[in-house]
Amino acid sequence: MTTLTLRRDGPGAKTAPGPRRRLLGLVVALAALAALLVLSVMIGSTSIAPSAVWDALVRSSDGIDQFAVRDFRLPRTIVGLVVGVALGLSGALIQALTRNPLADPGVLGVHAGASFAVTVAVGLLGVREAQGYMWFAFAGALVVTLLVLALGSTRRGSSPVVMVLAGVCVGAVLGGAREALQLTDPDAFDMMRYWNAGSIVGRPLEVLWPILPFFAVAVILAFVVSGPLNALALGDEVAAAQGVGLARTRVLAVIALTLLAGGATAIAGPIAFVGLMVPHVARWIVGPDQRWIFAYSILLAPSLLLVSDILGRVVMRPSEIPVGVVTAFVGAPVLVALVRRRKASGL
Amino acid sequence: MNNTPVMRRGAALAAALMSASLVLTACGGDGDGTGVQAAETRSAEPAGTRSVKAENGTIEVPADPQRIVTIGNTNLPFIDLGGKPVGVTEVSDSDLAALPQDQKAVYEAAEVVGSNGGEVDLEKLAALKPDLILVQFHSSDWDKVGERLEAIAPTVLWGLDTEWKAFADAIAEAGDVADALSRQKAEFTEKVAKIQSTYGKVIGGTSFVDVSRGDWNDPGTFYIADIGCSEIARDDIGLDLPEAAEGKDPLAYESLPFEQIGELSTYDVITYPVDAEGKPTASFVPVTETNTWKALPAVTSGRALGLFCPGNNSYGPVIRYLDSLDSALATLPAAK
Repeated sequence: MTTLTLRRDGPGAKTAPGPRRRLLGLVVALAALAALLVLSVMIGSTSIAPSAVWDALVRSSDGIDQFAVRDFRLPRTIVGLVVGVALGLSGALIQALTRNPLADPGVLGVHAGASFAVTVAVGLLGVREAQGYMWFAFAGALVVTLLVLALGSTRRGSSPVVMVLAGVCVGAVLGGAREALQLTDPDAFDMMRYWNAGSIVGRPLEVLWPILPFFAVAVILAFVVSGPLNALALGDEVAAAQGVGLARTRVLAVIALTLLAGGATAIAGPIAFVGLMVPHVARWIVGPDQRWIFAYSILLAPSLLLVSDILGRVVMRPSEIPVGVVTAFVGAPVLVALVRRRKASGL
Repeated sequence: MNNTPVMRRGAALAAALMSASLVLTACGGDGDGTGVQAAETRSAEPAGTRSVKAENGTIEVPADPQRIVTIGNTNLPFIDLGGKPVGVTEVSDSDLAALPQDQKAVYEAAEVVGSNGGEVDLEKLAALKPDLILVQFHSSDWDKVGERLEAIAPTVLWGLDTEWKAFADAIAEAGDVADALSRQKAEFTEKVAKIQSTYGKVIGGTSFVDVSRGDWNDPGTFYIADIGCSEIARDDIGLDLPEAAEGKDPLAYESLPFEQIGELSTYDVITYPVDAEGKPTASFVPVTETNTWKALPAVTSGRALGLFCPGNNSYGPVIRYLDSLDSALATLPAAK
């Protein structure tokens, strides 16, 4: 009888750094994120002295600058942090689930569902406030992903390939319907321009609190399935031989990534590249172990989002560029450079 | 001739198909002209005509037009001058809500022949048998339908960059409503003079800034208004209001993040949009709810003034704006 010896970390494990280097990298990523959080509060489209920023954070002073820091920069930074975590982790999940290093939550129709629901809310139901149509976006993302999951499930179980195809099809249909609605209602089109670009400006913390519990559940689910996803990377048969419940793992992963990507899209609109690029970079750094990829994605994705947001605040002062536009400008060249430098790592 | 039943049925089917295609062609909204051409015959012109210079050339218009259709931005200015169009295009709900009741009734009595823009139902328009069409919209919209409009009735076009006073003069001349214009001009001149003489000392040496926020603004953004009613306050009344540098886009085109609200503290007086009841407009409320706004010196000292601007491209709404400005300036202390 032949014994099948499984590599602990899946393909590519030989080239992956050891636990100490991974941990060190994690600490560096954490320090970088902390520095960016500070910079995000310090830098904005208007100049505020560091002492005023400090006052705003540690004292209850009521100056105009202090209000600007507390009411705008701080919530924006926290929203950027949370949305970044959600986008990064959801990207890592979809890439692990589909075994496709270039997948992002959009392939499951998350963005299409959210955008379509927001268009219906704004154009047909007259919802005008972000706090109102945010819930439509969240519900749209969830419903469409469930639909894609149902369409992608065959009698033999759910296949990542069929699921992605279903997602692309549903996304295309909803995208067309959304554009038709927007073209017949210029006011709705106007209102959705910035949401479609992806922005974290003017999102008070009140929009974040109701979605945080969903994010918390999703993060727990993500780490619960991270081990089984490592086994899935070796193929369904090997994973099943290891005792991994294929359907359970996939369903939990889809639920987690939908909650994360749906919530992030509901808050900030569709932000491209973060969910695609960051897990990719994380995989290059730590190798194919999903637990480490998830941990790194949680730290690197908000860093990318905050860097992009800070750049968006200063390059066109006093006006700003939506963070979704900047992530595309920053993310695309970086990703191309990385892809050209090294071969894409498998999953 | 003795047709067989099959041939007769074939002929009947062909006739039905041809009839159906003719009906469908005639019902086509904005086709290539086959169905529309029949309807696009000019109605009989009245005996006397006048020449009017416009963006589309020198147009011969009826001396006493009776059936006028207004398209795009000409709707409300023409009604403001006492005109009663037989056909109009859509206006926004907010514009309609700001109209005086009598003008609203005139607008609602007219047939709506298209959306606010280049989408015009030419058959519906032609069926009204207009003797004059007044148009102000984008040149690309004119390119789409201009020739067809001219085929239906004499059509006078103004570009979107036409200055509002010149626009009112031109509409009054083309639509033969010059008497109302004279009265409005006199009232406007009188109100401007009154505001300048009453508040000259208050205005002199005081820096103003007009801020606003529209439905289209992203959450968390506003803009400095330097066009529209703000332009009238600056150019006609003489308020010291910021404006874009020569050759640059208006400041109003630039969305500013709420963080920039603090920058307004450099101005002595802030003006902001309110509705007819004097409450901040719905889209501006998010600005007034910020702590930064509430902490501004102008706001804490009662120097933030709500102004009602029902429109800025004809004398009627501008006069109502001046009334609002008059009342607002009266609340300022005489000396800074």
